[in-house]
Amino acid sequence: MQVPESLLYTKEHEWIKTEADTAYIGVTDYAQDALGDIAYVEMPEIGAKLERESVLCTLESPKAVAEVFMPVDGVVIEVNSALEEEPGDINTDPYGSWLAKVQLSEGSSTQGLLKAEGYIEYLKTIDEAH
Amino acid sequence: MANRTVLYDKHVALGAKMVEYAGWDMPLSYPGGQIAEHIAVRSEAGLFDVSHMGRLNISGSGAVDFLQKILSLNINSVNLGRAAYAIIPNENGGAIDDAFIYRFEEGSWLLVVNAANTQSVLSHISPIADELGATIDDVTGDLAMISLQGPKSKDILFEASENLYLLPFKNSTGECDICGYPVKLSRTGYTGEPLGFELFVPADGAIKVWEALCGLGASPAGLASRDTLRLEASMPLYGHEYGQGPDGNEIPALAFSLAAASVSFSEAKGSYIGRDALKRQFEAHEKIKKEDFAGIEALGQVIRPFTATGSGIARAGDKVFLGDRHVGFVTSGTIAPYFEWEGYGINSQVTQQTKRRSIGLMLIDAECITEERFEAEIRGKRTPIALVSYHIRSDAPPYSRPIVYGWSAEKEQPKQAEYAELARDLVSNAIANHNFRQQEAINLIPSEMTLSKAVRLLSGTDPSFRYAEHRKLKSYYSEDIFYYQGTGFIQKVEELLNIELSSFLGAKAVESRALSGQMANTIAFSALTSYKNRANRKAEPKRLGYVLNNHLSFGGHLSAQPMGALKDFIAFDPNTDRRALVNIPVRRDNPYKPDIEQTKALIEQYRPELIIFGKSMILYKEPVSEIREFIDSIGLDAFIMYDMAHVLGLYGPYFQEPLKEGANLVTASTHKTFYGTQRGLLAGNFESDDLLWEEIQSRAFPGATSNHHLGTMLGLLMASYEMNAFKDTYPKAVISNARSFAASLADAGFGVEGDPADGYTETHQAIVRVGYSKGIEIAERLEANGIITNFQQTPAEEGFSASGGLRMGTSEMTRFGFGPEQFGELAELMADCVLHGKNVRSAVAKLRSQFTDMRYCLDESVGADMLESLRSLY
Repeated sequence: MQVPESLLYTKEHEWIKTEADTAYIGVTDYAQDALGDIAYVEMPEIGAKLERESVLCTLESPKAVAEVFMPVDGVVIEVNSALEEEPGDINTDPYGSWLAKVQLSEGSSTQGLLKAEGYIEYLKTIDEAH
Repeated sequence: MANRTVLYDKHVALGAKMVEYAGWDMPLSYPGGQIAEHIAVRSEAGLFDVSHMGRLNISGSGAVDFLQKILSLNINSVNLGRAAYAIIPNENGGAIDDAFIYRFEEGSWLLVVNAANTQSVLSHISPIADELGATIDDVTGDLAMISLQGPKSKDILFEASENLYLLPFKNSTGECDICGYPVKLSRTGYTGEPLGFELFVPADGAIKVWEALCGLGASPAGLASRDTLRLEASMPLYGHEYGQGPDGNEIPALAFSLAAASVSFSEAKGSYIGRDALKRQFEAHEKIKKEDFAGIEALGQVIRPFTATGSGIARAGDKVFLGDRHVGFVTSGTIAPYFEWEGYGINSQVTQQTKRRSIGLMLIDAECITEERFEAEIRGKRTPIALVSYHIRSDAPPYSRPIVYGWSAEKEQPKQAEYAELARDLVSNAIANHNFRQQEAINLIPSEMTLSKAVRLLSGTDPSFRYAEHRKLKSYYSEDIFYYQGTGFIQKVEELLNIELSSFLGAKAVESRALSGQMANTIAFSALTSYKNRANRKAEPKRLGYVLNNHLSFGGHLSAQPMGALKDFIAFDPNTDRRALVNIPVRRDNPYKPDIEQTKALIEQYRPELIIFGKSMILYKEPVSEIREFIDSIGLDAFIMYDMAHVLGLYGPYFQEPLKEGANLVTASTHKTFYGTQRGLLAGNFESDDLLWEEIQSRAFPGATSNHHLGTMLGLLMASYEMNAFKDTYPKAVISNARSFAASLADAGFGVEGDPADGYTETHQAIVRVGYSKGIEIAERLEANGIITNFQQTPAEEGFSASGGLRMGTSEMTRFGFGPEQFGELAELMADCVLHGKNVRSAVAKLRSQFTDMRYCLDESVGADMLESLRSLY
């Protein structure tokens, strides 16, 4: 299971990569594996102002639906529309397949998000629970 | 801990994602993912471990009574060597489970039920088995169950197995050895694939068999793709389409229309669990089919496939709306991939491009089924969905084909032009076509003949397009009465024609007004039905049954099938709920020949009233005298009919003479080995006042035709003169050319059907193998090279689209003067074209150009001047 060092993570298996006051958001390798073949992505509307932990978008495999939550407060400024045609790219390259680019809201913080090490530890606790 | 199948370790070793399902640890998907598995099944072959399903062996003296009691279907309808789908109903007409029943051998049946329901089924049926004297053995642990599905599955299975004999029909069962283990199998599955097999393997051999099949190219596939495949095929799953519905009520079993085909209310089946409730549902089902929605309370809701036309994926439990009205629920929903196809019709080709679509099944109020546009509520948002009939079709093997909502052909429209221009174009194209077919192309279609000049020219002269209705009246001592004036000439022609045909066939009576062989058969079946009911004209007429005929797949004529001319005349057997039809069994070592001993056994068992000989894929004589002798010996008064459509022109000592051998009636078309024109006939040794013969004549007119195409009747008279004039030389030449052609084709490298030991053929036909499902492509290639053949489904294949053969006849080219030397050259050219990929068009045209004058005809006797006078009439 890949967990790149350079990203921040949530316990709901999103990753976030910040660049100044913008950020790219995607789902982790663990998430794509758990969901299986992703066959459909419902993207958010550009301009949508979303609070942390609200639903950013939906990913669906033939078997299941999964919601992706905002790791931060922000406004959607771009979506990766290539994924609407090739949603399976999320399975093959979860960290290259960003879902949305957001403009961080004033005062938005990445506080509470996990670093790679912390996320790996968290994954271990899930495995043990199984 | 959950149960494990004998293949558990294999799945883990392959890296499968394992899940618990119905108490079993099963592979959900393998590392390639479920979409790749779905695609692999549709394009190549997939392999499923379905050993979790319950397998119950049913035997004992009360087994039939027991199965009649617990299943919805009539167990008498499941012949040995067949499998069938059935519901295990409860008293309320709900399903305790849906199941497949396999009849591999006499005296026992294998009932396969869902893993989740095995225990509930057992507790439901065990007391009944005790009561009725049936034995249930749970063999789930003894036999692994592996499902091999997809277009390549047949190749893989034949490669992996030994001693495999399996009829090419859906739901047939067979046996073979794989890796030294005895395997029982059936042509069944849960994917909608036209080619698919379920294998029952001794548990200790399962891993080896699995590995062997994978080694030959089958991709392991898990429960996830199994679900998307079954949904794309609109197949039901217990817990979704049966059992409790999304609203908490039990779904009536017949809400799923597949179940309606699996219920019986025949007397032979008698009373059974759930019968009365199912009967009420069935009556409602019939009304719904006719779009009559009054009084359908027993089946208020039905299940139909849908596809989403907007964004989003409707899932099980989502509400379905028609306008503002909540009309039902989604029972299953998913997103599934499909291959794009390009091109049209028989030439369409699968591409490598895949797309996805959101599909599913929904349970909706029955009166809504005439509507198309619905909405599903997905997480609070409405999205449009469309009710469709199906998502895939499986009737063009070896591939299942996606049927995409909203598809429409983008074909070129015919050009706009003035009628003057269109008229000139039409004539010029007709001339080009005529010259190609008559002078450049080598026609090997065995159903076709071309006409001599005299026959062709006569056919267009004046009696054509006029009427000459006539029938015998007893008031005039059965003289024919013609209803129109101006018919003197054609009356004479018909009399002369019947004399010539009588002489050709050695028959006392001939009816020549039928316009085709198909019509001749319709006349025969209608006359036999009417004759059967001659003693009581005031009741619903009884139909014919049993009928013994050649199966379509083994060469039987289309027109002798229930799907052809027999349709309205064959009875249903109340014991089996099936048509009262049995097929002539064929030999395993040569399926072009009947198995005489088995045929006799079937005749004794079913005591048919009608036996129909004759085939359109015919390499050998039909066993008329043997069967006549046999039925006489057992005192059976069966009517023997021989449809000689293909072999009429061969009638005589070089082929066979059915009327001498004991057939009662010969029907035929007159333009295959006979010299044309395109018509039909019936003939037999009937006295003119024979009641059946009177029926035949009255079914011809006024029964079948009042305008019997007088021009071609005139042409047929000339053709009959030609036939009788060359009766001693032409049939012999055609048959010896066919044998020589078959041998040359074999020498040139083709696989030739039939037995080399008996010269491959006794008729005008030769059949070569060109590779499974390659027939269409090869026949097209040959046509482009000037050789006209027809692709042929051989006895091993499942449908015309899987054709692996070419059927060819020597009659037309024999008339153009081809002998063994030319057929030898032709065989070489065909090998160059088909086997070596060469272009032979000019060589074919060169060969053909030396043989453009017709032999075995009377054109020379008529004389060039007379022919010119005839031509100048136009």
